[in-house]
Amino acid sequence: MKKVIIVLIAMLVATGMVFAQAATETAAAEARPEVVGIKIWYSISGANGEFFKSQVEAFLAAHPEIKAEEITYTGSYADSATKISAARLAGEAPDMIITSASQLYPGEDGNFRMEELAKDAELNYADFQEGILEYAKYNGQLAALPFAISTPIVYYNKDLVKKAGLDLVANPPKTWDEFVEVCKKVMAANEGVSGFDASDSVWLFKSMLYQNGNPVVEQKGETVTPVFDNESGIEVATYWKKLVDEGVMAAQQHDTAEKRFQAGTLAFVSATSNRLAKWAGNLGFELGAIEMPYFKTPSVALGGSTVTILATDKWKEDACWQLIKYVLNTENQTAFSLASGYLPIRKSSLENADVKAYIADSELYAVATKQLSYAWAYTHFGAMGSMDNFFWYALDNIESGKSTPAEAMKQAVKETIAEL
Amino acid sequence: MSKSKLKRYNWFIFVLLFIGSLTMIFPFVWMILSSFKTVRDVYTYPPKWLPSEWKWTNFETVFRMIPFGRYYLNSIFTSVAQTFLQIVLSIFGAYCITFLDFPGKKKLTVLIRSTMFVPMVVTLVPMYLIVAKLHGIDTYGGIILPQVFSAFTLFLISSFFAAIPKDLVDSARIDGCGYFRIMGTIVIPNSKASISTAALFSFLGHWKSYTWPLIITNKDKYRTLPIGMKYLVQESSSEYQVMMAASVMAILPVLILFVLFEKQLVKSVTLTGMKA
Repeated sequence: MKKVIIVLIAMLVATGMVFAQAATETAAAEARPEVVGIKIWYSISGANGEFFKSQVEAFLAAHPEIKAEEITYTGSYADSATKISAARLAGEAPDMIITSASQLYPGEDGNFRMEELAKDAELNYADFQEGILEYAKYNGQLAALPFAISTPIVYYNKDLVKKAGLDLVANPPKTWDEFVEVCKKVMAANEGVSGFDASDSVWLFKSMLYQNGNPVVEQKGETVTPVFDNESGIEVATYWKKLVDEGVMAAQQHDTAEKRFQAGTLAFVSATSNRLAKWAGNLGFELGAIEMPYFKTPSVALGGSTVTILATDKWKEDACWQLIKYVLNTENQTAFSLASGYLPIRKSSLENADVKAYIADSELYAVATKQLSYAWAYTHFGAMGSMDNFFWYALDNIESGKSTPAEAMKQAVKETIAEL
Repeated sequence: MSKSKLKRYNWFIFVLLFIGSLTMIFPFVWMILSSFKTVRDVYTYPPKWLPSEWKWTNFETVFRMIPFGRYYLNSIFTSVAQTFLQIVLSIFGAYCITFLDFPGKKKLTVLIRSTMFVPMVVTLVPMYLIVAKLHGIDTYGGIILPQVFSAFTLFLISSFFAAIPKDLVDSARIDGCGYFRIMGTIVIPNSKASISTAALFSFLGHWKSYTWPLIITNKDKYRTLPIGMKYLVQESSSEYQVMMAASVMAILPVLILFVLFEKQLVKSVTLTGMKA
C-alpha cells in the first residue's frame, strides 16, 4: 500500500511539474519581449514616401521598445498587390501595410480586429471624416484605416480660360453639360488646344456613375452584383462617348493627359488631388481647379491608401497599432497632408491653423477640401481590380467606336460577374 | 555612276543618317540636360533646352532619397552574376541541342522553347513560393538563381552554333576530343561574337529587371537600382529632374558595355537582324 501511495504521490508531483513547466512556457510566450520587431510595407514613393518614413523614424526614436525590422517600399499599387499576395501565400506577410485597398487582405480572411482596435480612445475614431472611413471598410466592417487619401480634381489652365473670356472662379460650370460648353469655348479661343481628359479614366467614370445615381455594384451580405449596365450607367457611358464625338476629349489618350496639360495643350484635366502640391507654382501657367461637375448630385470617388495590420502575434499587433495611432494623430496627419497634397482625413485637421491658412490662401486646396464633403467610398471586394480592368477596356472600346456604350457596359458587367 | 551622281547619292544617305542619329541621340541629350534643370525648367512650355541654372543638387537629392550606391553595387553584382551563369548554362544547353543526339531531343527543345511564351507574371507567385521555401527571400541567391535560365539566350547561341560545320565537330570527336574540349577549342572560339551579343542582351535584361527583385527583396541591403528608380519616379511627378539625374548615373554601365562590345554587337545584328 505504502508503495502505491509513494507511486501516486510521485505521479502527482511529476504531473504537477509538467503542468508547472507548461504554465511557465505559456507565461513566457505571453510575456512581452523586451523589443518587439515589426515589418512595415508601404507603397508611397518619392518625397511623400520620405515624409512617411521620417514620421516612422520619429515614432521609433520615442519608442525604443519597438523596432522596425523592415520599412519596405513595395512599388506601385499593382506591384504591391502582387508582393503582398505572394508573401501571404508563403507565410511571409509583413505586420503592417499601407497600400491601396489594404482592407481587402484582412477582410478576405474575415479578420476585423480593426473594429476593436479603433475603439481605442486615443485614436478618436469620431474625428475621422465619415465618407473617408467608409473607404477603409470591407463588407461594411472596418478592416483598415484611411491614410493617404485623394479624390479626382478637375484642374484647368487659367491662361487658356482667360483667353476665352471666362472666369471660372466666379462662374464655375456645375453640371457636365455646362462643362462641355465651357470646354468648347476654351477650344475655340485657343487653336490646337484640346478641351478635357482624365489621367485615370476609370476613377472619374466611377465618380460620374455615382453622380447619376448608379452605385457601380450593389452588395447584399457577401454577394456583390455589378449594376453599371442599367439605364443610369448607360447614360454616363453615352455622355463619355459624347465627349469624344464632340471633339472635347481625345480618344484613347488618357496616358498622356497630365503631360499634355503640363505642356499647355490641354485646357482641363481630371487628376488626383495630390498633384495639387506638386503642380501649384511649378507649371508655366496659372493653375486653377473647379469642383467636379456632376449629373444629378455632386460626388467624387475616394482613392489612395489605407493602413492595416496583418500581424497575428499579440505584441506585434500592439506595436503596429501604437505606430498607426501615431501617424494618424491630428498633428502628424495634418503635417502629412500639407506636405504631400493628400487630403486631410480628420475633422480636427480642418480646424488646424496651418490648414485654415492654406485653404484661405489656395483656392485649389479649398476646392479639394470642399469636395470631401460629398466624397464617396465605393464598395471594396475581391474582384475589384479585375472590374477596373473591364471598365478600362469598356471605355477604350466606347472611345474607339468598337462598341456602343450599352454594349460596352453590358460586356464589362458580364466579365465582372464571371470574375466574381 | 558619275561622280556628281555619287556625290548626290551620298548626301541623301548622309542627311537621312544624320536625321536618324539625331532622333536616337535626342532622348539622351534631353536626359542629360534635364538632370541639371530646376523643377520650373522641366515644366516650362515651350520646352527649354538649357537649364536656367545648372543644378548639381539633383544628383545629391538622388543619394539623399535612396541608398543609390548600395543599389548600384547590387545591380552590378546581380546582373554580372546572372549574365555569367546564364551564358554558361546556355552554352551547355545550346551545345546539347545543336550537336548531340539523344532520345526525346525534339520534345525537350519544344518544351524549352515553350517557356518563352509564358509571361513572367504567371510564374511570379509559384516562383516566390519556391524561393521562400528555400529561404531565398532577401538573399542574392534568391534574386539571381530564378532568373538564370533563359530560353531566348539558349536559342540565340544555338542558332550561331548551328552555323559551325558539324564535320568539324565530328573530326574533333574522331581525334579523341571530349565534349568540353570541343566546346573550348572549336565551338566557343568560333562563336565569340554571338556569345558577346547574348551576354550583352542578357546583361541589359538583368540590369533593368524590376518586378522579381522587388518581390523577392525587402531590405535595402539587397535591393537593386530599378526599384530605387521607381521610388524616385512614381509619385514625384514634379521631380523629373531628380529622376533624370538618377537615369544619367544608371545608364553608365550599359554605355560602357556598348562601347566595349560595339563591334560584336554590330556584327551579330547584321547576321541576325536583331536590335537591342
